[in-house]
Amino acid sequence: MTTTELPDTEGAAPQTLSTDRRPRFRLPFSPWHLVLIPLTFLLIVPLLWMLITSLETEGEANRFPPVLLPERPRFANYSEAWAAAPFGHFFVNSALVTLVVLASNLIVCSLAGYAFARIRFLGRGALFVTLMATLMVPFQVTMIPVFLIVKWFGDNVWAGLGIDHIGALMLPNLATAFGIFFLRQFFQTVPVELEEAARVDGTSRLGVLFKIVLPLSLPAMSTLAALTVLTSWNDFLWPLIVITSQDQMTIPLGLSYFQGAHRVKWPLLMAANVMSLLPMLLVFVGAQRYFVQSVASTGLKG
Amino acid sequence: MPARVATSPRSSVLGRIIRSDNVSGWALVSPGVVLIGIFGLLPVLMSLQLSFQKSDLLTPETPWVGLENYRKLADDPVFVEAIKHTIIYTALFVPGTMLVGLLVAAAMNRSLRFMSVYRTAAYITMAVSTISQGIIFLWLTDRDYGLVNAGLRAVGIPSQSFLASPSQALFVIVAMTIWGWTGFSVIVYLAALQGVPAELHEAAAIDGASAFTRFRTITVPLLGPANLFLLVWLTINALQLFDEVYATTRGGPLRATTVIVYYLWDRAFVHFDAGYAAAMAYALFVVILVITAIQFRLARKHVHSS
Amino acid sequence: MAEVEFRDVTRQFPGNIVALKGLNLTVADGEFLILVGPSGCGKSTALRLLAGLDKPTSGEIRIGGTVVNGLAPGQRDIAMVFQNYALYPHMTVYRNLAYGLRQRRTPRAEIERRVRETAELLQIGELLDRKPGQLSGGQRQRVAMGRALVRKPQAFLLDEPLSNLDAKLRNQVRGDLKRLHRELPVTSIYVTHDQVEAMTLGDRLCVMSNGEVQQIGTTDDIYNNPANTFVAAFMGSPPMNLVPAVIRSGILHIGGEAVTMVASPDGPVTVGVRPEHLQLHSTCADGMVPARVDFVEPLGSHVLVTALVDVRGDDLPGASAETRVIVQAPAGTELASGNRIGLAMPPERTYFFDAETGDVRRSRERISL
Repeated sequence: MTTTELPDTEGAAPQTLSTDRRPRFRLPFSPWHLVLIPLTFLLIVPLLWMLITSLETEGEANRFPPVLLPERPRFANYSEAWAAAPFGHFFVNSALVTLVVLASNLIVCSLAGYAFARIRFLGRGALFVTLMATLMVPFQVTMIPVFLIVKWFGDNVWAGLGIDHIGALMLPNLATAFGIFFLRQFFQTVPVELEEAARVDGTSRLGVLFKIVLPLSLPAMSTLAALTVLTSWNDFLWPLIVITSQDQMTIPLGLSYFQGAHRVKWPLLMAANVMSLLPMLLVFVGAQRYFVQSVASTGLKG
Repeated sequence: MPARVATSPRSSVLGRIIRSDNVSGWALVSPGVVLIGIFGLLPVLMSLQLSFQKSDLLTPETPWVGLENYRKLADDPVFVEAIKHTIIYTALFVPGTMLVGLLVAAAMNRSLRFMSVYRTAAYITMAVSTISQGIIFLWLTDRDYGLVNAGLRAVGIPSQSFLASPSQALFVIVAMTIWGWTGFSVIVYLAALQGVPAELHEAAAIDGASAFTRFRTITVPLLGPANLFLLVWLTINALQLFDEVYATTRGGPLRATTVIVYYLWDRAFVHFDAGYAAAMAYALFVVILVITAIQFRLARKHVHSS
Repeated sequence: MAEVEFRDVTRQFPGNIVALKGLNLTVADGEFLILVGPSGCGKSTALRLLAGLDKPTSGEIRIGGTVVNGLAPGQRDIAMVFQNYALYPHMTVYRNLAYGLRQRRTPRAEIERRVRETAELLQIGELLDRKPGQLSGGQRQRVAMGRALVRKPQAFLLDEPLSNLDAKLRNQVRGDLKRLHRELPVTSIYVTHDQVEAMTLGDRLCVMSNGEVQQIGTTDDIYNNPANTFVAAFMGSPPMNLVPAVIRSGILHIGGEAVTMVASPDGPVTVGVRPEHLQLHSTCADGMVPARVDFVEPLGSHVLVTALVDVRGDDLPGASAETRVIVQAPAGTELASGNRIGLAMPPERTYFFDAETGDVRRSRERISL
């Protein structure tokens, strides 16, 4: 087609063509809104209910039939939750761990990914396959030995890397085979002529990576970043295994302990929950494009 | 006259080696290789060794017990139950998430005003941590004051115990995790649906197919790759269910929601029976490999190449 | 009766983009009509409106006498060949061809018969069990045509079906199309931007630009009696030369030089002559237009000379100093860049267009020497 389909604001769709059926009566908007509004409402109702409860008093929450809107939003729930557990520490820990893991992954996986993509070195093929094989192994198989390894690091290298320290949360995740795989795939799509031209001009391998390839790889890096941030921030099992002191906990773990301590104080718990969720939700909405990309690109390349 | 290539006056054997691809290649991959080697490959071997030992993670003495851990596994009624629960969970969760994802994606695969808002709402469940999910659903399904029970009572159905009921808890977890994974599923299906060229729909329309027929005969068959990906990815994740169980029922009530990984964690880090847990982990690993291989084999026959 | 009619059809998009302005066109039963024009001229829009893939803002479309405005594409009894073929990738060729018939609940035996018949006609019989992914571009194109043919529709719609083929294949398929239409004269509406395709294939051409019809006619009509400068320049390769000129006291002046022709009325005018009609002389005599050779392109059977004509000094608004003109000269003509030549314009092959609107004045004016 020489002309691209100019979208109608309402009604035109790839699946339902505008002339499929002449409606007897015309709504001022597409009937699909009548489907989508309840559907999306249903999807976010758990989050909405969490928010509403977080602003209620305990009396309002523990009531049947449930109160749909609190008389006056009780923001004190939030300050109380904040005071009841070291949320400040939780946030800082989560942020530190995530940032370090993110930076490390981006650097290490770029270097390795580039080498696998563009440099012919001895043993490249076998090495790559071996690394990728680790992707097949579920975390449960490795978690016990990694616990022991991390304990060894804590005892013999630096306590900050060992059990019950956030360093232990960073250490095993500093590089992932997935990150290497993902970036290698992407680097292979960068036209090799660009790199060859730079090398003819005398740029070193590393120089080519930093000056030519990486600047062109921002979308892929952002996508990997989104995925890394999400998995790191929401990680629960590993922190559960390694951390017991409250001041070293990350948000999911901290929230879980909070839950244990304030089990039926629902408004308080919900306030804590909202505070814990908010950072990731905001990041997600802001960088939605990259999160979507991260899923879509793994999904359709298999 | 043949061209002369300028050679660097400092060129030497050492220099050439340093500049060679082998060295630069290995230099660049070494950080990644070291890290993954230590935390990815080594543990696989250690875990295997551990599964043949008796270990409590604290004392350095780890006596060799051969295949005893594996034999114990076969006789362990809790393990058998855990397998059962995991299978039931997986069998419900995977098709459920795929179906919900497909329907939502199909509804959202059109250009409408506010569509980006609708889509964001659908995707956002992806960002919710498993613990948060657990807490929200504990509250939603609370027997006395939960929203769900309020709704049921409004239509005359008595309050359900949901997560406190041995017969219902697992199914509530299914529903909860379907919700949590919907965003992911929608993203995959939406991308796949949008990959179907509009021209195919037009050609089918001209051929006389109604919108529903077009969906059935053109769209759905072309979703093969997406279906396979979700099937494999969701199954692997389902078999590894842990967080959501911990956040809600801790394996209860009465072990009704004890799934394999939960039992594994319990054995390793609560009861410090690490060798046994390692054996269980390896068993799970093998199961995952086998199931994934079967799924790929099945897919070979059914996935259409576009 | 499968006459196709557009009555005053307009398609406007939000933002005041008018893709099609009041199209009036009747395609006779069995006629092969070509919509031709540059990108964005509205030809694809018109085709899609006819197919039912889009709705007109106003106007009526009729197929076989029936108004089809409210009908879904599947109800219009038309078939379409897409530029990218749009074959169902997960179905075999057989099922691709059969799809439309199955939607119409045609009995299986009948489907079998028609599919095989069509496959044989297009020589794709051995491909019936393959999937589109396993076919070459040319084979896919034939399957796309087959899918349209097998339905025996009232009208064929073709949207640039040859543009994805390489040059050699394109020529071959063009011939096939012509032959096919001769054997099965179904009303056909064909969209292309390629004027060669248009001129060779069409019974009639509809030249379009900016959503409006510029001219409708046979190839000869359009070539020899262009309605305006757009049609004149669009059809023909190399295009007709268009030179700004002025008529003063009944004498045509180009670049200040009096060319010995008489044309009325006075005022600025655009003169058009096709490269093959301009006569090239090595010295410029009275009555010729002086020009300077820019470069020469030998093509074996003839030579194309690009020359520069001075159009200065005519007080024409916006006249640039020199205009490029292409002349077709016999093979073996030897000229160097910078040579001065004279161009003679045969009176019966010279066209005059209004300097502002571009519309043709009466195509031939009397010339007296």
